[in-house]
Amino acid sequence: MTTIARPEVAAPEPWVFPEATATALPNGATLLTYDVPGQYVLSIRVGLPISLADEPRDLEGIATVMARTLDEGTEHHSAEEFARLLERKGVSFGAGIGDAGLTMDLDVVKGNLEPALDLLRQILTEPVFPEQEVARQVRTRLAEIEQERAVAAHRAVIEFVRTFYAEDERSARPIGGTRETVSAITREAVVAFHAEHVVASGATVVIAGDLSDLDVPDLVGRALAGWDAGAVERPSAIERAATLAQDRCRIVVVDRPGAVQTEFVIGAPGPDRSVAGGWAPYPVIGFVVGGSPNARIDAVLREDKGYTYGIRSSFRPRRSGGLFLTAGSVRADATVESLRLLVELLTSGREGFSQKEVRSGVDFIAKTAPGRYATADQVADEAVIMALDGRTTQFTTDNLHDLVTVDAARVDAAFARFADGAGIDPERPGSGWTIVLVGDAAEHMAGIQGLGFGSVTVVHDR
Amino acid sequence: MTRNAYPLARTTLENGLRVVVSEDHAVPNIAVNLWVGVGSRHESPGRTGLAHLFEHLMFQGSRNVASGEHFSLLMDQGARLNATTWFDRTNYFETVPTGALELALWLEADRHGHLLDAVTQQNLDNQRDVVKEEKRQRYDNQPYGTALIDVYATAFPEGHPYHHPTIGSMEDLDAATLEDVHAFFRAHYGPNNTVLTLAGDLTPEHGFAMAERYFGDLPPIELHQRPLLPQLPPLHGAVRLDRVKDVPNDRVYVTFRLPVDATPEYHACAIAVDVLGGLASSRLMRRLVRRDETATSVGGWTMGLVDGVGLGALTIDVTPGADAEAAEAALCEELARFIEEGPDAAEMESVVADTERAWLSSLASLDERADHISQYTLLHDDPDYINHFVDHVRAVTPDDVRAAAARWLQPESRAVVRFLAQSDAEAAA
Repeated sequence: MTTIARPEVAAPEPWVFPEATATALPNGATLLTYDVPGQYVLSIRVGLPISLADEPRDLEGIATVMARTLDEGTEHHSAEEFARLLERKGVSFGAGIGDAGLTMDLDVVKGNLEPALDLLRQILTEPVFPEQEVARQVRTRLAEIEQERAVAAHRAVIEFVRTFYAEDERSARPIGGTRETVSAITREAVVAFHAEHVVASGATVVIAGDLSDLDVPDLVGRALAGWDAGAVERPSAIERAATLAQDRCRIVVVDRPGAVQTEFVIGAPGPDRSVAGGWAPYPVIGFVVGGSPNARIDAVLREDKGYTYGIRSSFRPRRSGGLFLTAGSVRADATVESLRLLVELLTSGREGFSQKEVRSGVDFIAKTAPGRYATADQVADEAVIMALDGRTTQFTTDNLHDLVTVDAARVDAAFARFADGAGIDPERPGSGWTIVLVGDAAEHMAGIQGLGFGSVTVVHDR
Repeated sequence: MTRNAYPLARTTLENGLRVVVSEDHAVPNIAVNLWVGVGSRHESPGRTGLAHLFEHLMFQGSRNVASGEHFSLLMDQGARLNATTWFDRTNYFETVPTGALELALWLEADRHGHLLDAVTQQNLDNQRDVVKEEKRQRYDNQPYGTALIDVYATAFPEGHPYHHPTIGSMEDLDAATLEDVHAFFRAHYGPNNTVLTLAGDLTPEHGFAMAERYFGDLPPIELHQRPLLPQLPPLHGAVRLDRVKDVPNDRVYVTFRLPVDATPEYHACAIAVDVLGGLASSRLMRRLVRRDETATSVGGWTMGLVDGVGLGALTIDVTPGADAEAAEAALCEELARFIEEGPDAAEMESVVADTERAWLSSLASLDERADHISQYTLLHDDPDYINHFVDHVRAVTPDDVRAAAARWLQPESRAVVRFLAQSDAEAAA
């Protein structure tokens, strides 16, 4: 027999995000180091504020192909040799571009930091983008485009951005480019894009982990001394909010005859981290609406109805502007009812949040912070996210301090600010949202139209 | 020795609960991790998927805990939690702020000791629906999503415990009754079939005392465990299964039966598979992706299991327009060459360095460290394995790798599953 009463919980100990030491490198890059004792695999990150809008319109995807070819052959080593050099030192390397910019990730055991930095030097300063390797990355990306079309969740996102953003916005098109633009990418174009954009000026290098007995600024300074500063002023496209489509508030169904589930992406414009009233309430809203099995959405769609394995909502801040996105899949025959419920639940913030809900969200986010930022990887990732947002991890710490003061009044005000901006009017169900479904159009079309949420368009892939 | 050994202390309570504590005060968090010695390999015919469906019910309330309260009480205290089911075990875990350790243990003890007080037909029906959506989302509605299910059924004989997947079949999920759930709990959930690991901001003395306080009263169960099955030999003669599907490109899974986990021969096979397909500089990468250009990507992985067999796989994403059979034939050539010559020094060095970084990265977080400790305690009775895993890999010689490949990775021992793109298949017809 369990006879012990439910234990009380002691208040958590105070905690702050690990402190950064910043060093300005002569070539215009900034080095941030975070000493995280006991983390013997060091995480190295390089963040470059490169805008996707800087890609030539007819060569979109070139930044992605360039990032993937950075370590595919250097002045002194072939692609094969370089892959082997990385592996013999146990260095994992990856690079990719997103809305926030280009990031490179290297992880290496502490004892191999110096050789890892030398390999990073070669990646940054000596890539030659061999013709054959560029062609191979182009082929790989083309195959990936087909795979993304085949995966319902990816397909939904592609259709979502196409519907949500204005037609001439880079954000309206896939980050990695389309079949047409990727096919046109040449070695010469990749070399030119790299020379112009992958320069030290404005870049941030992060090294996190157990740094005892290491002089990291000296090691990095020497390794990256030959990395050119490049243009002093970077173009500012990355700091501009994307324009939304005039007709973004509508429903698009991507037809998948016979699909056993329907995939949803539902979104509306949201704030960035500089929003009036503070950023802290927004993750709380995301948690309360769609962040756990007990959140408003899953309490109904999963735990009550059994329509889904789980649906998640979150605010996604960009450097300027942002999104509130909800995504997940439901049983095919519950599509229409799920859509009705989702819009109702997503709009329910208009009626306010209870003190209990807000407390739950604040407590979860605040109290998980020490564990969410415990490893070298987690610290380095947060540092580079902040750098590419034009901030430092002081924001992470300040935001956590602000978070514990968030109450229901602030959350209600934050939701109202978001909903007003998005045009979400509870009197007009469906208003303000961009809704994409990937599922059997013929099966669900009449039901979706019957909800009266606005215009419904069907897209056929083949 | 790996340079940074994590401290480990273990004890066994009178009721048989094995408790391991790994002290680490870097962050004011404790990872609570339970492994129960039951997985899909323990399921009976007609009841596949039951272990996993049961795992879902563990979140729906117990004697002193309301449905959904396990999540809400812990999340309100800053816990990150979940559970997973696999062939050999079921795993429940939460990482909590130090002050919430006792709440976590109280909740775990309540459901691990007294679940059945709260299981209802309504909960069972609801979670059955949720699990079916999990199956549709992760398997049925994904391109290639059901390929591994085909791999298990092709590589392992009918009736073998790994022949069927953890997710089970829709028919068997439908057939599960409340009586099944009760019987399953009584047969498998007890302190003497469970490992509790606590990793983080606590001392062993405190951890042991807390385990005793919350779990000490749970009675042991009568365990009826058969001995582990004898090692399955490699297949004699290749077997294959083709599926023509609406997939973007042909994908070929070339798989092999392997020795059981945590044995020198398993490590040797894992190194061989890494050298062949796992490393970024692997032989198949060089041959199929870089030289022949018949693949857009290749892969290599092994799955360590305990009940008489493991699994190894080499995968090929065939370049659109290229010939899947030619790519597979080239793979077999590379296998034969590898069996002939074994790995070279640079390949061995790469595998060891890559394994060391990946392993230490994984141990760097409290939750993964606790998970590995539970694994090696429950399945191999050796928590300290986490501190020696890299040494075991390093101890394997190139000759060991060649010999293991010669025994386990012969082309004629392969089980091949191919997912072929519909349009290609039609064009070829």
